[in-house]
Amino acid sequence: MTRITVGPFNRVEGDLEVRLDIESGRVARAEVTAPLYRGFEQILEGRPPLDALVIAPRICGICSVSQSIAAAAALRQAMGVVTAPNGVLATNIAHAAENAADHLTHFYIFFMPDFAREAYASHAWHGAAAERFTATKGSAARDALPARARLLEIMGVIAGKWPHSLAFQPGGTTRAVELGERIRLNAIAASFRGFLERVVFADKLEHVLALATPNELDRWREGRSGDFAQFLRIADALDLAHLGAGPGLLMSFGAYHDADGARFRAGLRTSDGRVEALPSDRITEDVSHAWMRESSLDPAESRTEPDADKADAYSWCKAPRLAGQPVEVGALARQAVDGQTLISALVSESGSNVRNRVIARLIETAQLAVSIEGWIKALRLSEPFCETCGEAADGNYVGLVEAARGSLGHWLAVRSGSIARYQIIAPTSWNFSPRDADGVAGPLEQALVGTTVGDAGARAVSIQHVVRSFDPCMVCTAH
Amino acid sequence: MGAETFYSVIRRQGITRRSFHKFCSLTATSLGLGPLAATRIANALEAKPRTPVIWMHGLECTCCSESFIRSAHPLVKDAVLSMISLDYDDTIMAAAGHQAEAILEETRAKYKGQYILAVEGNPPLNEGGMFCIDGGKPFVEKLKMMAEDAMAIIAWGACASWGCVQAAKPNPTQATPIDKVITNKPIIKVPGCPPIAEVMTGVVTFITTFGKLPELDRQGRPKMFYSQRIHDKCYRRPHFDAGQFVEEWDDEAARKGYCLYKMGCKGPTTYNACSTVRWNGGVSFPIQSGHGCIGCSEDGFWDKGSFYDRLTNIKQFGIERNADEVGMVAAGTVGAAVAAHAAVTAVKRLATKRDDTKQDH
Repeated sequence: MTRITVGPFNRVEGDLEVRLDIESGRVARAEVTAPLYRGFEQILEGRPPLDALVIAPRICGICSVSQSIAAAAALRQAMGVVTAPNGVLATNIAHAAENAADHLTHFYIFFMPDFAREAYASHAWHGAAAERFTATKGSAARDALPARARLLEIMGVIAGKWPHSLAFQPGGTTRAVELGERIRLNAIAASFRGFLERVVFADKLEHVLALATPNELDRWREGRSGDFAQFLRIADALDLAHLGAGPGLLMSFGAYHDADGARFRAGLRTSDGRVEALPSDRITEDVSHAWMRESSLDPAESRTEPDADKADAYSWCKAPRLAGQPVEVGALARQAVDGQTLISALVSESGSNVRNRVIARLIETAQLAVSIEGWIKALRLSEPFCETCGEAADGNYVGLVEAARGSLGHWLAVRSGSIARYQIIAPTSWNFSPRDADGVAGPLEQALVGTTVGDAGARAVSIQHVVRSFDPCMVCTAH
Repeated sequence: MGAETFYSVIRRQGITRRSFHKFCSLTATSLGLGPLAATRIANALEAKPRTPVIWMHGLECTCCSESFIRSAHPLVKDAVLSMISLDYDDTIMAAAGHQAEAILEETRAKYKGQYILAVEGNPPLNEGGMFCIDGGKPFVEKLKMMAEDAMAIIAWGACASWGCVQAAKPNPTQATPIDKVITNKPIIKVPGCPPIAEVMTGVVTFITTFGKLPELDRQGRPKMFYSQRIHDKCYRRPHFDAGQFVEEWDDEAARKGYCLYKMGCKGPTTYNACSTVRWNGGVSFPIQSGHGCIGCSEDGFWDKGSFYDRLTNIKQFGIERNADEVGMVAAGTVGAAVAAHAAVTAVKRLATKRDDTKQDH
């Protein structure tokens, strides 16, 4: 057996290190380390509750809107306010834009460049993949980055600036969208659709979203141009559907609420394909392998105190568990829980794996593009965008939302008008969790086991695929 | 030498000469250098060997990179991401692990005294640097090592410049701005959380074009972008001067675009280019979204009391009245004390907002 360390990882958000025990060319055991800690939960204690709207988003420059709306959701409970319907819609538009932008970044900038590696030079598809996806040089980035920047002009209209926007308040958004701005939003949404239909899918979004079975998907991709079809062909050639299997349980907190309820509903999908109600009161955080002092397992009651010398610890990330189990979160989980036809069928067929994670992100991106158009239409410009909030009352509150990478929760305790405790569980805290007190490994640690590395050791590209298929956001993970 | 120039790199990328000249004149304009400078920039980029830029990430949230790659500049991805050669950037580069570490060593040796070290984030010093481990070593060691042979250092954002929210009380990791760790090299601070993309590309282009730092103020910030307050060029400034203020998010006054001073806006004490350059492709900036400025480019902005408390020490019209007093004048109640006005405001916050703002204005 040999032990190798993979890291620092590039083309992931933040710092990451993975230690692997290799036996006969395969991963026998994995340990995932989040090597960066800043102490946001400690910093938030004692501050005025509303300051969470400024400080918490700064956990992450990639998912800052998600962090903002999680903080706003917890504060909304504390203030007993109902968000103005326009505020909900404007938040949805901005949040969806951020999430779609994240999915594009992942696909074009982080994930696909691995197929341009020399290790694949002997494959028939390699030449085209290298031309299109080589990091910083391929032609794809020149299409994707401007499209992404254009999409994020939505943030300019709704949120003023991004990352770290300030417009998302418990009562709604700070500014009404004006008529001219609605036209501008429509134009941005249309150009985003144009990019997806021309470059990513080479088909109408409605056609892509009508694909219902793995067979239909296979037929659809034959002879089709576009980057999604190119990925599907590579995924089949490399059998990525059998790489990086997740732990089986898929969780979503539900996302994009509007008058009709959540666009993507909350729940837990079990490995036999049932979708159950989310037992959100059974979320715990275990610190047995984190450089943290023991505290309550309940995030509503616990505090975060580093202990850099702790024995057996190997990460700044705590180990979140749902009813004692590690769960996978992300676009795949969100779509499987919501019952999206194609994704549910793919998960029933082959479970959670590298290929399905990537497919789910792109299918979700198509859905978001369509939803954004609907939300822009639904805005009623003469009605309020923000309701007045009172003071935050003493008590315990929780804001549960979905970031691009999965379920995000903020647990807030207010005492005497100040923040008494603040706990955050981010998507990659779930996916890249270390072991718990029972020695049960986190989802990535499980997904890596069995991966073939051959003689390549730390350079094995299969490892890169598995790790990046989760689209980790390490700056969120340990905060 | 036969060394690569910027120009040869961009031509290889398929950028047309016309786009290149457009880039040069836009850059000259954004740097406030006038039309002749465009030719100087073009000449320099055509003739001089490209300057390597090493971009390192410490304790941070990656928001500076995020801002940077979304610059509205038509050529930013090509002009800066590949032409100016981010030889080493954790977030976007192709290499991984030891290969990435090797690039660092190689660049350091090959371009000794010639490369720009761009630092995003800062080093935490508690627990021997253990809160930010990069490649098995505390980030602070890697930072010092790379700084040793750099020509100059760019401190991206509030983290590298001042510490930012991760250095907020009680600063659990002792996150420390880089000028406290590196004292023997010129450091240019480009604060903001994050800095504006066009400011970042402007600074990089200036340094790589002219081979020196632009003129800095006493705090080490480039004067061309940080010499004016948000307030000086704020499009809501006439409402400040007229004593017309927003009292609640999205109230009637907000819909009329009144001043956000009473909502805690820190524009009057914040030096940055947001109100001129704006954000996300020049679309908007926080004040335009109806939220006050939080002063994210100022040292210590994170520990100055609630972000929603108003400033109490600024003057209006350059004379002795502060905004509260002017607000009173506008409301028709001359001569009342500031405290009394604040109390009125507090009562009004509890009332339903639309009714009372109508009375007010």
